[in-house]
Amino acid sequence: MITMARDLPLLWPEILVLLAGAGALACEMLRLPRTALAVATALLLAATALSLPLLSLDTTVFGGTFRVDALSVWAKLILLPATVLALLLARAELAGSDREGTVYALLCFTSFGALVLAGSGDTMFLVLGVLLSGLGAFALVAYPRDDAATEAAMKFFVFASVAGAVMVFGLSYWFGATGTTLLDDLATPGLPPAAIAIGLAGMIVGLGYKASLAPFHFWAPDAYEGAPVSVAAYLSVVPKIGALFALAQVARDLPPGSGWSGAVAAVAVLTMTWGYLAALVQDNLVRLLAYSSIAQAGYFLLGIVAVGASPLALLSLVLFGAAYAAMNLGAFAIIQRSGRTLESFAGLGRARPAVGVAMVLFLLSLTGIPPLAGFVGKLLLFGAAIDANHTWLAVIAIVNSVLSLAVYLRIVVALYRQPAGAPGVPAGGALVTLVWVAALAATLLIGLAAQPLLAPLV
Amino acid sequence: MSALATTVLAPLAATAAILLLRRTPAMLALAGTAIGLAASLALLAGTFGGEHTVLTLPGLPGLPLRLLAEPLTAVLSVLVAGVGACVMIYAVGYMKDDPEPVRFFATMTFFLAAMQALVLAGDWLLLLAAWELIGLSSYLLIGFWYRRPGVPAAASRAFLYTRSADLGLYLAVFVLIGTHGGSVIDTSLAGGGPAALAVGLGLLAAAIGKSAQVPLQDWLQRAMAGPTPVSALLHSATLVAAGAILLIRSAPLLPPGALLATGLVGGVTTLITGLVALGEGDLKRLLAASTSSQYGLMLVAVGAGVPLAALAHLLAHATIKSTLFLGAGVFQHARGSTALDALHGAGREHRTVFAGFTLAALALAGIPPLSGFFSKDAVIAAALGSPYAPLLGPLALAGTLLTGAYLARALRILWRGDNRPRPLPGLAWMGTGFTILVALAAALGLAFPALEAAFPVGRLPETAGAQAAGLAAALAGLAAGWWIGGRRLLGPLLGWARRDFAVAGGLDRWILRPALVLAAACERLERKLYHAVLAIGRLGLRVAAAIRLGDERGIDALIFALVRGTVGLGRRLRALQSGLVHRELAITAAGTALLWIALLASAWP
Repeated sequence: MITMARDLPLLWPEILVLLAGAGALACEMLRLPRTALAVATALLLAATALSLPLLSLDTTVFGGTFRVDALSVWAKLILLPATVLALLLARAELAGSDREGTVYALLCFTSFGALVLAGSGDTMFLVLGVLLSGLGAFALVAYPRDDAATEAAMKFFVFASVAGAVMVFGLSYWFGATGTTLLDDLATPGLPPAAIAIGLAGMIVGLGYKASLAPFHFWAPDAYEGAPVSVAAYLSVVPKIGALFALAQVARDLPPGSGWSGAVAAVAVLTMTWGYLAALVQDNLVRLLAYSSIAQAGYFLLGIVAVGASPLALLSLVLFGAAYAAMNLGAFAIIQRSGRTLESFAGLGRARPAVGVAMVLFLLSLTGIPPLAGFVGKLLLFGAAIDANHTWLAVIAIVNSVLSLAVYLRIVVALYRQPAGAPGVPAGGALVTLVWVAALAATLLIGLAAQPLLAPLV
Repeated sequence: MSALATTVLAPLAATAAILLLRRTPAMLALAGTAIGLAASLALLAGTFGGEHTVLTLPGLPGLPLRLLAEPLTAVLSVLVAGVGACVMIYAVGYMKDDPEPVRFFATMTFFLAAMQALVLAGDWLLLLAAWELIGLSSYLLIGFWYRRPGVPAAASRAFLYTRSADLGLYLAVFVLIGTHGGSVIDTSLAGGGPAALAVGLGLLAAAIGKSAQVPLQDWLQRAMAGPTPVSALLHSATLVAAGAILLIRSAPLLPPGALLATGLVGGVTTLITGLVALGEGDLKRLLAASTSSQYGLMLVAVGAGVPLAALAHLLAHATIKSTLFLGAGVFQHARGSTALDALHGAGREHRTVFAGFTLAALALAGIPPLSGFFSKDAVIAAALGSPYAPLLGPLALAGTLLTGAYLARALRILWRGDNRPRPLPGLAWMGTGFTILVALAAALGLAFPALEAAFPVGRLPETAGAQAAGLAAALAGLAAGWWIGGRRLLGPLLGWARRDFAVAGGLDRWILRPALVLAAACERLERKLYHAVLAIGRLGLRVAAAIRLGDERGIDALIFALVRGTVGLGRRLRALQSGLVHRELAITAAGTALLWIALLASAWP
């Protein structure tokens, strides 16, 4: 018997996120953008706080359709602070612009979609999450209302439509095979394998588009480039992690030995390699980080491949998710303050040593250099993959890490190069500084605090 | 102890100071020399008081370097320091207008330090080192005016002649260290050993080279190309004296055969170089030949077994000959030349200098009561009293006769002829050094009794017959030189004497030319070695270049190809990002199809 009295307290974080979006929208209607920011930030932080007591739970609500488990709760603990940081970045970038408050509302709604994804125990929640996080994201990308943003949003929308259609098409096979929309029932023995395979393929396409996995990633570089930097930063973190966690939720219920892990591993290799190779030749830093975030998504797949086969899988996903959120937001924050091109970074390391050092640390963390957060996350991911007998995948991932060093060092070199012309105009501000300092602290703290977790690995 | 070190170190410090400061070199040199002289005198006072000081310095393992202060070395040290001081005072005036006083005084003080180390050496190794150092510094000093024609050749000649004779010293020292198991001079003076004759002859050979004895007498006359203070210091009292000093110090270990050889070499030298001096047409070269001649007399005394007589004559001759050289230098300044033809009457222009010059000349000739009388008398007495008296006696007397003759000839030339007095720059400094030396030359004979007392062994031989014979020979020589003139006296020997009694092309053929040929051969060999080393180096470079090429074409090329390939792949992937949605969606669709196929394939095994 489902009782609302039991379920609702478990959903307080989601409810607060919705309220944050609604509140921000209401404030925007009253032309109070700063109040909108304050309301949204406060409610998101409250949601984060309310998520903490749920950490020990492993249960479902609404008849098994929504999960309140470690992955879902950790998704809240990672994504809600990340959303707060994105709010601050957006405030720094878009303050004073028309419809400023709607950005805060859209960010909250999109985060709600990501949370739905991360906790979904039902195919309908998957579809709902993809749509929720997608709709807000289109509007966010289109926010500047110039040609680039409009085109980017349009492309994003077309991609989302196609991917969504394929996903719904595929999921219909699952419904046909199992008779329910619950993910749990996928594990039932005797299901027709072809139907499962078609459904899985559709789901990978749908979530892969959301997480910008190759070859479903084409929208991402254009969308990030057209969108405000703060929106790009947000899109590269929150919906992506939500979709990847959703994939992990699905993977938990897939029948073992159905060959899905091989397909996901192939996607992982393709994604990592494609992302870094394309990033290697970018001069626009937003596009470079877009490809970098594509490649990083491939690393997440190492953990997803290991779900069900290795106890490290969920731990590595959570840890790398947190690390990725911190270092990627930090890197985007510094791009927002310093400029979108490699040229605008020339000499920054000399002119502003603290900013330069922070950027170098974010980039090294993205590469996976100890003792930063990225290293811990990647090490756990590799460990999980090896544990799940995907050693070859771990080797390819490590080779790609070498490639990633070349990608990120290009920025480091630019940082300490003599500037060709006049130094770029720093578009800093206290909020941006607050964001990258917080991200840097998280990057360092996660890296150091997670060292004990590595003990069983080494 | 400290005086012992100061004797050597004071001139050395002066050298360093001159080279570092590069100003007031003359005053620094005088200061260093004066301090050295004071230390020497203190040393002498100490040793005459019975002290016997040894300063041991770390040297080769088991062969420490020693400085030794005993009566003999202390006396020689005072001689070197005293004459050095006088000459240095004189040089201040003499070098007044020279453009390179720094180089001159630095080398002079360095020479003095090396010479002090030589006379005070208490072991063979230090002696050998000092011996080489005085050879080197004399080369530098003779060649001081190296831009003048003939000067570099003269310096090289002096260096090669003495160096070739030095091989004897090396031989002797190695044999001595080998047979006595140590390098201390005192212990090896016991003599004996299987190779005593070889040691003796080796030492004699070294002395012949340094003291310009027959057959190596030639270099000294040519060395007169150096500045006059150099001639006065090096070629009368110090450098040339080194040979005689070596023999005097090592006299106890010389076996009879070596003694005879020494005496004969000395006797023949005194005769031949006396004749050369008689026929000489240049005042400084005359004095140089005379120097060889006088050292010949000293060797006669050593050969006769009375090294003390040789020491006495060494001291007397050092002061006298320095005086004569300094006087000659004054005349040279006055007339701008040292050729006797140019010096006619120069003595009458500078009568005071001429008086001192004459006094020194008479002293050298052996006229009482001047110093040379006592020392020459002792040498003649020693020669006459030795076992080889029939050989050495006549030679010594002939040398004395010739000494008188060539000196009288020089005096006559200086006194006769036209004279136009001119003012002379720097005469005050030159005169001071000259005067002190004249006084020493005249009165040194009075110090000989004290010298005898300091030496426990032996006394200066003194016989009435020898005194009479010596005095007679000296007076006869003086008279002959004054009235007859050297040229007529020599007669048919004149030309030969002018050519330095060169036999079969002289020693140039035997020493200088072989040395030069050897040097040329060595140079060729070195050039070949150099080219060989260069070839090896080039080979190494080629190998390195080949390896580098391999690296570049192989490993590097591989890496660069990988990088190029990677970047190219990246560009191609970027090209896929065409911005055209339909094309990108086509790729997405293809990917989706692949995914389906893969999953379906895995679903139906």
